[in-house]
Amino acid sequence: MICEQAQLEIGADPRASSRELDEHLRSCPACASFSAQMRALDADIRRALDSPPPTAAAAVRVQKPKAAWREWALAASVLLATLAVLGLWLLRPTDTLAHEVAEHVEKEPQSWTSTHESAESIDKALRGSGVKLDINSDKVTFAASCWFRGQYVPHFVVQTAHGPAQLIILRNMMVAGRRTFHEAGMSGVIVPAEYGSIAVLAHGGAAGVDAMAGEMQQDVHWLADAR
Amino acid sequence: MRNSQPGPPVSSIVERLPATDSAAPLVGVFAALRPDLLRFAHWLARDRAIAEDIVQEALLRAWRSREALQDLGAARPWLLTIVRREHARLYERKRLELVSLDDVLETQAAPRYAEADGDLFTLRHAIMRLPLEYREPLLLQVFGGFSTEEIARELALSTTAVLTRLFRARNKLRVICGMPSANDAAAPESLT
Repeated sequence: MICEQAQLEIGADPRASSRELDEHLRSCPACASFSAQMRALDADIRRALDSPPPTAAAAVRVQKPKAAWREWALAASVLLATLAVLGLWLLRPTDTLAHEVAEHVEKEPQSWTSTHESAESIDKALRGSGVKLDINSDKVTFAASCWFRGQYVPHFVVQTAHGPAQLIILRNMMVAGRRTFHEAGMSGVIVPAEYGSIAVLAHGGAAGVDAMAGEMQQDVHWLADAR
Repeated sequence: MRNSQPGPPVSSIVERLPATDSAAPLVGVFAALRPDLLRFAHWLARDRAIAEDIVQEALLRAWRSREALQDLGAARPWLLTIVRREHARLYERKRLELVSLDDVLETQAAPRYAEADGDLFTLRHAIMRLPLEYREPLLLQVFGGFSTEEIARELALSTTAVLTRLFRARNKLRVICGMPSANDAAAPESLT
C-alpha cells in the first residue's frame, strides 16, 4: 500500500482497519502520525456533533423564499421616500414670495416679543392698505407698515388661541393657490385673498398655522379701494 | 374521503400518534429518537426551525410506512435515512444555499481550534461551514454510524466517491483546526 492510498482510507474513516493498512502504518511513521491525528480529530468531531450546531454564527443559511412582506416593505419604502421628496419639494419656499415673507419676518425679531400695540399704530399700519381688520386691538401686539416688494404692506403680530401669528397682507400679490412652507424655524402659509394674498407665519407645526390662517382670512376685510 | 390512516400531527407527531397497543413500542421509539433526529436534521439544515419541520415530516412518513420497519432495533438508522431524504427533498425544492462572506471572514478570524482550551467551538463552526456534499456523508458516518457502502447507496454515489468526500471533509476540518492539510492527491477527483 502506498501512502496516498493509506491516507485516503484513514481520512475517510480514521477507525478503519485492514491488514494492508495496519502493515503500512507499522512501516510508515508519517502515515502512523497522520492516523493518530485523524483519530483524535474524529473523536472531537463526535463530541462536536453531540450537541446541536451553533446558531449564533451560522455561516451558511438555507435560502428561504423571500417573504412577501419584504417586497411590500421595499415598495412602501420607495413610496415613502418619493412622498418625502415630493413633500419637501412642495413645502420648499418655492416661490420667492414665501421666501421673502419669511426673510422679512426674520429681520424683525422684535415683532415676536412685542407685547402691546396702540390702536393708533394699528390704524397707521392699515392706512392705505385697502383692508380693515376685524380683530380686537388687544390681540394685536405688533403693527407696522413695511416696505415689501415695492409697496407698503400691513404687518401684524396677532395673539391667537394657538400662539402669536405673523400676519402680512399682500395686496396685489396674487397666488394661484394655498401654499405652505417651512423656513427659518417657522411654518407659514400664503392663501389667496380677494385682492391679493395673506401670509401667516408662526413657530411650530403647520397645523397651527392653518388654523391661524383660517381665522385671519375671516378677520381681514378688503375695502373697495384695495383694487 | 377521509384517510383511514391516523391524521398527521401538527405540533408533535410523537405526542399525537395513536397509542394503540401494537403501535405503542414504535411511538416510544419515535419519542426516544426524536432528539437525535432533530440534532441530525439541525446539523444538516443548519436551521433549527427547518430541522423541526424536517423531523415532523420524516416522522409522519415513517409512521405511514411503519410496516417496512421489521426490527425496532434498526429504527435509528431507518429514521435517520428518512430524515436525510426529507432534507434532500427540501434542498431540491428550495435550491439552497448562500454563503455569507462575513461569516467566512468570521471563520478565518476565529481562534484556532488547538488554542481554544479544549472546547469545540471552532470545530463545530467548521462542521457547520462544510459544504453539504462533504457534511452529509460525514454526518451519516459519524452521527449515523453508516458504513461507506451504506452511505454510497444512500447518496447514490460510488464507494470511491464517498471515500473521497469523507477524506476531503476531514481534511478541511484539519486545516480549519490549524493542522497541516493532508495530501489532497490521495483523493481522486472521480466522484461519480
